Amino acid sequence: MATSLSDRNTPSAVEDRSGTIEIAGVRKTYYDRTGAENTVFSDVDLTVRPGEFLSLLGPSGCGKTTLLKMIAGLTPIDEGTITVRDKLVDGPLAECSVVFQSFALLPWSTVIKNVAFGLRLRGASRNEREGRAKELIDLVGLTGSENKYPAQLSGGMQQRVGLARALAVNPSVLLMDEPFSALDEQTRGFMQEELLSLWERTKLQVVFVTHSIEEALLLSDRIVVLGIHPGGIREVVTPPFPRPRTRNTVRDPEFGELSTQLWEMLRSMKEEDGST
Amino acid sequence: MTAALVSETTTRSDRGSRRSASKAGRRGPASGSRRGSQWSWRIRKVVYPLLLLGVLLVLWQYSVSQMENRLLIPTFTEVAEAMGPTVRNGDTWHALWVSNQALLAGFVAALVLGIPAGLALGRVSVLERIFNAYIDILLVLPMAAVIPLLVAQFGLGLFTRSLVVFLFAFVMIVVNARAGIRSIDPTLIEMTRSNGGGEPQVWRHVLLPGSVPALLAGARIGLSRAITGMVVGELILIPAGVGNLIKQYSGFLDAPSLYALIALVLVESLVLIALANLLERKLLAWRRR
Repeated sequence: MATSLSDRNTPSAVEDRSGTIEIAGVRKTYYDRTGAENTVFSDVDLTVRPGEFLSLLGPSGCGKTTLLKMIAGLTPIDEGTITVRDKLVDGPLAECSVVFQSFALLPWSTVIKNVAFGLRLRGASRNEREGRAKELIDLVGLTGSENKYPAQLSGGMQQRVGLARALAVNPSVLLMDEPFSALDEQTRGFMQEELLSLWERTKLQVVFVTHSIEEALLLSDRIVVLGIHPGGIREVVTPPFPRPRTRNTVRDPEFGELSTQLWEMLRSMKEEDGST
Repeated sequence: MTAALVSETTTRSDRGSRRSASKAGRRGPASGSRRGSQWSWRIRKVVYPLLLLGVLLVLWQYSVSQMENRLLIPTFTEVAEAMGPTVRNGDTWHALWVSNQALLAGFVAALVLGIPAGLALGRVSVLERIFNAYIDILLVLPMAAVIPLLVAQFGLGLFTRSLVVFLFAFVMIVVNARAGIRSIDPTLIEMTRSNGGGEPQVWRHVLLPGSVPALLAGARIGLSRAITGMVVGELILIPAGVGNLIKQYSGFLDAPSLYALIALVLVESLVLIALANLLERKLLAWRRR
């Protein structure tokens, strides 16, 4: 218990802020067709440290994907500011790469062209981007599939392409929006392990949206739990498991305990929501 | 005792062989005979449609020959006989030439104006809101009713005939282009923007390639509508081309020539649509798994 639901939003004023993502006083409000406003969250403050793997966890409707897309510069910030490595987010930043839930591959382009797409938009020459794309295709284990079309690949392979495309542009921040939720359980397990080993080698700053408690516990340095009605940060959990982690980490007795606590927390939110 | 044992073994092997037989059936025959079955599949693909055509022609021939009073209904053989003279007749080719001028001009204009219009409607919601009602009107408007107005305004020349073709094809091309843009996964646009792409890159890398299937479908449907428009315009009011010749033949009660001419127009249409299909298959290779 002591290790778990405790260190809410540790102030990081003493730390060097140059490599951080600073989210300060952020609000998101949607208006429905009748003009009625629905504030998903407000006054969200959060610091993502350099090299940190941070997960956003919460029930559907809590705005975890919205917050991620705000960091990505894809969704307007209604109030407050987000800075990524001292750059104010006002549209997509070159530092950030996004991995999408639905993979977002161009179906009319081959694997190598999909992986090279980010580099192409950044103006890299053909040789440069194809060389780099080949490296990344090897890294994610898709050697030999360069000239296949996405429809010819399994879901897991498609998301490897999505990951390779995101990494090809050498980002300092990786923003992942439920990247494995569309995959079957076994494939998801393999992808989680691969992401772990990749992250442990590169120490990229990762913001990872998930609705899976187990996935968040297995991968993250910190888990930020978002609530609904009212929205915003409810809790910050620090999974204490030593790295490097593998699938065996789930057998840690504390894993089960934390998992139960988080589950209770999400369930109580659902009950609150039902009563209102 | 022995009898029981024997019967048991036979039933067991029976069951085994049945199982393996059904397995083989499910998986398809081994490679040698698979080539054979592929052949027969190919032959069937050609033979069955031809068979249907044959049956229809025989039915045509038989049922019409049984009719007592048939003023404008020829038998198949009469049409086939008339085909030779019709093909050799200079009037036929002149009529086709005149009609096709309007088809070409009207259809190309419909493509050139309809594709950008549909793409813009699909992307810009303000335009969509302004023009939606007019698109619906164009869709339900009976074009035949408009032709007299066009003739009154623009006369009986090539321009009016092209305009009729244009009006028949335009809406279909617009509606399909609009649907093409709307069918594109918005995540692809987000992905492009997250990589620093602006609206021009979104169009170049996502919207245009993504709407190609719908544009081709629109062109194909638009083409068949354009051909209809070409003949209908000439039949209703404008004395020119194929429509005019059709009216002449039916005036002389020359049914075999009439149907031979219609058959020629059908052949032309089928060839054009086959070309459109071929283009579609070439451009959409990525869709095949």
